[in-house]
Amino acid sequence: MKRYELIVIGAGPAGLSAAIEAASWGMKVIVFDENVRPGGQLFKQIHKFFGSKKHKAKIRGFRIGDTLLKEAEQAGVTVQLKATVMGVFNNKEITVMMNDQIEHFKGDNILIATGASENMITFPGWTLPGVIGAGAAQTLMNLHGVKPGSKILMVGSGNVGLVVSFQLLQAGCEVVAIIDASSRIGGYGVHAAKVARTGVPYYLSHTIIQAEGEDCVTGAVIGEVDDHWQIIEGTQKKLDVDTICLAVGLSPMSQLARMAGCEMIDEAVKGGLVPLCSEYGETSIPGLFCAGDVAGIEEASSAMIQGRIAGSVAARRAGYILDQEFAQKNADFQESLAQLREGMFGAEKKGKNLSHTDEGIPLSLTLLQEGYINEAEIQRFPGFSETISSETKTKGVYPVIECTQNIPCNPCQDACQQGCISIGDRITSLPIVTDKEKCSGCGMCVSSCPGQAIFLIEENYEEDYVAISLPYEFLPLPQPGEQGLALDRSGQAVGSAEIVKVRQGKAMDETAIVTMKVRAKYAASARFYQQLEGCLSGGSTEALAMKGGELE
Amino acid sequence: MSKVVERSQDLGPCIPQNDDDLIICRCEEITKGEIRQAVHDGMYNLTEVKRYLRTGMGLCQGQTCSRLVRSIVAKELGISPAELELTSARSPARPIEMQTYSNEVW
Repeated sequence: MKRYELIVIGAGPAGLSAAIEAASWGMKVIVFDENVRPGGQLFKQIHKFFGSKKHKAKIRGFRIGDTLLKEAEQAGVTVQLKATVMGVFNNKEITVMMNDQIEHFKGDNILIATGASENMITFPGWTLPGVIGAGAAQTLMNLHGVKPGSKILMVGSGNVGLVVSFQLLQAGCEVVAIIDASSRIGGYGVHAAKVARTGVPYYLSHTIIQAEGEDCVTGAVIGEVDDHWQIIEGTQKKLDVDTICLAVGLSPMSQLARMAGCEMIDEAVKGGLVPLCSEYGETSIPGLFCAGDVAGIEEASSAMIQGRIAGSVAARRAGYILDQEFAQKNADFQESLAQLREGMFGAEKKGKNLSHTDEGIPLSLTLLQEGYINEAEIQRFPGFSETISSETKTKGVYPVIECTQNIPCNPCQDACQQGCISIGDRITSLPIVTDKEKCSGCGMCVSSCPGQAIFLIEENYEEDYVAISLPYEFLPLPQPGEQGLALDRSGQAVGSAEIVKVRQGKAMDETAIVTMKVRAKYAASARFYQQLEGCLSGGSTEALAMKGGELE
Repeated sequence: MSKVVERSQDLGPCIPQNDDDLIICRCEEITKGEIRQAVHDGMYNLTEVKRYLRTGMGLCQGQTCSRLVRSIVAKELGISPAELELTSARSPARPIEMQTYSNEVW
């Protein structure tokens, strides 16, 4: 029987990070993963991550995956793919299905990092082809390059539902609606807003009643629910969709921990049954660790830190790290992890109906209920009020930051070389535009914001016109000189727009900065650009007229 | 969890519901109605329901349905899902061909 100092089950962000950490201290480590490719869900994550520099913020998930694989190789970690762990037994012995046989391994330490599986909800038609998990949609699009469908209904407005909706739009699908039985959008407001401004409607307090179709989905019926989650008669609405994506939560895949005999707890905030873990991720069985979603649903950034912690604890158990060195390292990890858990979406405040930001500013209710901030509300936030509404009319360009919720993220502060943007030491604080006069218009803040919530406004671009620069992640990119529509935060056309500049660069990492010229009166409302041909919905002069906008 | 469910309690008749024909366990094609009926037949915990109906014993090993079955059984018993202990987690954790399973090396 082969023996390893650390056996890691699952080559996702948590497992790989633990393996790298342990191996870098000299441990003999092997990672088993049942999939053909390593990385867990990381390679499906094409969006930029939140957090700070040390959390790998503003880096796209799949690039983090590439880095982890490289680091694992350099550290001498063996990653055994197509290897399914079948059982965890006494004395940390495991059986693995690989090479058409069952092989036995023994670990001085074992880390279970098996992640989570998607929850399903049932309704008539839920077994029809075309009803898929949001994760499945991501796999199809981002790993295999296949469009999951043409017209999508997204069920669930948590971060998964919002992020996948945006990716569906990027893949060229039409997202017909995002619905959620809750009365508030569950995910980050900035994720909701970047989807809303393309024109996707939200239906809160709505659930799916039925998927229609004989052999596949040909439509969906949704309806509004009351306080007791019952459908309100007469609110039924039929949607013309061919695909229904379910993003209704994740469940930790904790079977191996149960099999091993770990003490378990059932906690709704962690997503279900999880092993009881110490601050080091150690279960009730000494030397058996859990990290990542299996220990409680969070996200990839915290999974990576949890993995690092477990890896270093294993190294300490094996005597590779001295206590003092470990204490220092662990303190750094714990601080980093605590930062990610702060803010209004952190474990402490999750699910609570907050009414104000930490700064005491009333939250935008339209953002929570309709997915976008209305013009009246945006003015009370520090990224906005310091700029447009200030009395001195500025010449030149300045940033407008529409970041209105306390989330752990600060790349904008680092991105600005001029020092115009400040978040401060507390990573969840709202960004403030401290000195707009210094803004050079470089756009690094615009492309670095993982929430795509920063815009540059250049007043007096031409007489009666302003230039608005916005983050743009759709193909084909607009071309300078092109005429199109300026959309407001809700995706409604407000007027015509002319593209005057399109910037791309390595540092922007595929977030192009598109600058459009619009009438000065739209400076505070125009936040997206819609191309006239092949545009996201409708299009043309007629569409503009229908939407109540005016064409110049 | 693991609260003892009173065996002698009378759940009353299993009254048909509109969505009884909804498939819950896709792998074994077991409907909501069958699960509800099983509870009324005396299967008061998830292990009994599983052995009676084979819910969660198919290809996905309950990955999709265990949460759903748990909530249906709990509702029928008038308790919270958290009070129902999950079925035992056992090796093999994934479906496996007997030929492979018997080919064991140390």
